[in-house]
Amino acid sequence: MTALVVEGLVGGYGPDDQVVKGVGLTVAPGRLVCVIGPNGAGKSTVLKLLAGLLRPMAGSIRVFGQAVTPASPRAMIAAGCVLVPQERNVFGALTVEENLLMGAYTERGRAKSRIAEAYARFPLLRERRRQAARTLSGGQRQVLAMGQALMAAPRLLMLDEPTAGLSPVAAQELFATIRALADSGMPILMVEQNALDALHVSDEAVVLVDGRNAHGGPARALAADPTIRRLFLGGRAVPDTTKEMSA
Amino acid sequence: MPDSFLFGAILQALINGVISGTILAVPAIGFSAIFAVLNYPNFAIGALASVGAYGGLVANTVFGLPLEVSLLAAFATAAVAGIVVEWVAVRPLNQAGALMMAIASLAAAIVLENVIRFFWGNGLRGYDLPMLRDVQFGAIRVGPQQVKNFGISIAAMVALWAFLALTPLGRAMRAVADNADLARLRGVDPVRIAAVAVALGAGLAGMGGMLIGLDTSIDPLTGPRLVLSIFAAAVLGGLGSIPGAVVGALVIGMAEELTVLLIAPSYRSVVGFVVILAVLTVRPAGLFGARA
Repeated sequence: MTALVVEGLVGGYGPDDQVVKGVGLTVAPGRLVCVIGPNGAGKSTVLKLLAGLLRPMAGSIRVFGQAVTPASPRAMIAAGCVLVPQERNVFGALTVEENLLMGAYTERGRAKSRIAEAYARFPLLRERRRQAARTLSGGQRQVLAMGQALMAAPRLLMLDEPTAGLSPVAAQELFATIRALADSGMPILMVEQNALDALHVSDEAVVLVDGRNAHGGPARALAADPTIRRLFLGGRAVPDTTKEMSA
Repeated sequence: MPDSFLFGAILQALINGVISGTILAVPAIGFSAIFAVLNYPNFAIGALASVGAYGGLVANTVFGLPLEVSLLAAFATAAVAGIVVEWVAVRPLNQAGALMMAIASLAAAIVLENVIRFFWGNGLRGYDLPMLRDVQFGAIRVGPQQVKNFGISIAAMVALWAFLALTPLGRAMRAVADNADLARLRGVDPVRIAAVAVALGAGLAGMGGMLIGLDTSIDPLTGPRLVLSIFAAAVLGGLGSIPGAVVGALVIGMAEELTVLLIAPSYRSVVGFVVILAVLTVRPAGLFGARA
């Protein structure tokens, strides 16, 4: 059964500030799907809608066949959708272990067994469990943020620009961790600014432009597509040339 | 003044300062806890200290309960009053910003003060306490009740530490104080945590009000007279920092006692203003604060 099916998703920051204007997505179990697009295309807003931080104005969301209304983050955690936000995604003043425990806040009875799983998956976190999260490096923080999200035992993991602000080496290591997580069966929906690297590590991709699906399909095919390469040359969006053409 | 006499007097003032600072730390922690979670300075904290002091007075003198139980009554009365103030006066203004919420808390303080006056008048009232002789160590004198209050304040702080560090609710409160958006994303209900923080903060203020009253007597202004010292302690420690509030309160307590000894008792209240001015000039984030 498909992990996530999103159809006709519309939403934003108010009736006059619609950012997502009709987005469709499908994520199958064990697949890593990336959402790419130029700045302001609505990528992060899609994740906010799916995490219950914003209320959709239209569209449908089905998680493993069940229709879901994203009324609140708590409702989406109950549906199995857990988001790792782009910035400030750990509790800096809390220890690594306390950060993991906060990940299982809605299911505190299962925290102990899940923390053992998190340490087995990310031994680094066990080594630093008594350390305040703010003392971790950027890459380590991202691993902690993912570990925290996994404590809720998600059925779908959503990552918002996980490699933002990381060095190229740390970004590659993190991509490898994300890939391994998907290979273990976890469906992952990832928004990335670093488009070409994201396409190389993902199974499928959706390209958003101005809040709508512009392209989509197998990630490797899109990475080789000249249109996509033109849009994201070197992983960065090419400057808008339409104005120059019309001038 | 001979040197040994002055040394003895300073030592006595410092000991008094540590004791009064430790007691002051209890409402200062309350003030900081509310600021950390709700991001506004609740100036009703002084009036809530009075509410607690009178709640404890009723428990102690009307119902004849022992002081330890009366202190719990002080905590509970102030916690309930704090929640009412938050829901009725402050929360409706949370879209208007921290300044408006602070002003609303000041207005609520005036109401609380006058509610107390309505029932008990302006006169001084005392708890039902046994008369005990001071304990003397050389030139230093300490009242047994002062020592007891000091111990109760330490116990309250240890209990608060255990709550914040060891319980899921306490951890969630610290998580909200650190990163409210992420806490919400992890399923924490911000309204529930805000209510817990207000109940805890106001309760500690109420307990602090009674502890201060145990040393002397109480009147409707027992708490409001403390607001400057509480605020100065929290600013010195770093607004929102609980360890900062403890250190800040100890410094303020000692500075106030030394001012009484070395300058004049009427200058006691200047300490708070001087500390606030100095901190805002030199280190606006305070000793332990992350935010300026």
